[in-house]
Amino acid sequence: MNEFIYNISMWVDGTSWSAKLHESYYMYNWVESTHVLTLILCLGMLFVIDLRMLGYAFRDVSASSIANRLNIPMLLGFIIMFITGILLFYAVPIRTSQSIWFRFKMVLLVAAAINAFIFHKQMNESVSSWGNDARAPSAVRKGAFLSLAFWSIIVICGRLIAYDWFDCEYTDAGSLSQVLSGCIDGQTQF
Amino acid sequence: MLLSTSSDFNSRSKTITVGVLLTLLLIFSFSSLRHESWLRLYDFFLWLETTPFGVLGKTWGAVFAIVEAVHLLAMALLGGAVLISDARLLGWCFTDVPAVKIQNEAHKVFKVGLVVVLFTGVFMACGVAGKVYWLPVFWYKMLALATGIFFVFFIRRPMLQRNFRELNPWVVKLVAVSSMLVWITVAATGRWIGFAGS
Repeated sequence: MNEFIYNISMWVDGTSWSAKLHESYYMYNWVESTHVLTLILCLGMLFVIDLRMLGYAFRDVSASSIANRLNIPMLLGFIIMFITGILLFYAVPIRTSQSIWFRFKMVLLVAAAINAFIFHKQMNESVSSWGNDARAPSAVRKGAFLSLAFWSIIVICGRLIAYDWFDCEYTDAGSLSQVLSGCIDGQTQF
Repeated sequence: MLLSTSSDFNSRSKTITVGVLLTLLLIFSFSSLRHESWLRLYDFFLWLETTPFGVLGKTWGAVFAIVEAVHLLAMALLGGAVLISDARLLGWCFTDVPAVKIQNEAHKVFKVGLVVVLFTGVFMACGVAGKVYWLPVFWYKMLALATGIFFVFFIRRPMLQRNFRELNPWVVKLVAVSSMLVWITVAATGRWIGFAGS
């Protein structure tokens, strides 16, 4: 599996646009800035929805109103964040695919997506009975709490990708870090 | 009648105060005072690196990285509050909910976000004070942040606490757009510090 990911990353890295994007100071930085700005849009909406469900914010505004109105800007932010995220990966594929933080982040993104699906399902099924209450029922609150936790750790992992402490070239062969990062024996270092 | 006169006087005095402050800021910006103040601040920035925050930020890279992430999360919270309240002023959402209610609730969230942004921001600045001092984009961010805080607490908030019907709708829209632009500038210049410093 790791070799497959490595070979795919090598192929992506060999495409001319990958190198061009990586080496373009302004283009790369603009893509990364857009990633951060749309993260603010997406997570800003998500945090308000979750805090409303937990009863910490916008308690006087109905929960369904908050969730329905903020879902669209949240999804818009997510789509642009996702596209710019793919571009950031495309620009630095090998190092990113072998980053322990990137791998954690991907796992957590899947967990956050499953949680979001369950959270919305539970909310839509029952919101008519508690929509105007200050706090959502226990099951929805759990979903909101997990959402906050997942996304907070996703952002921390995303930030840590920039640091090279656990890069393949700086860790011992066969160490847990190398196993989790998917380092390949004898690979070219980047 | 008396109330109206008093309110007009307050508005006029606040407008004059803002005008005077802006004039002073312009004089400061275009005179040698700005350069002299900047030079004097260098020792202060070097001292910041010797504070416990500075030492911790420089010695423990992991702590610095996590504080960076918390700073970003707090910016998201602050940004969410700003966007929701400005979108309401522009009539883009929550038009069935009284604007005052949205503004008050959003302001509470904004204040929490701002406190965390400032605390984590000071921590990060202490860790790399000697470096950011030389970056123009750091000073642009400080200017944008100061403008944003001043704008929220001395212009936007007092204005929106008045009766909405008294306000010209175009002024309200202008305030909302300005608010969004100021905070987007804060976020964008903040990200650019990382590029400029690398």
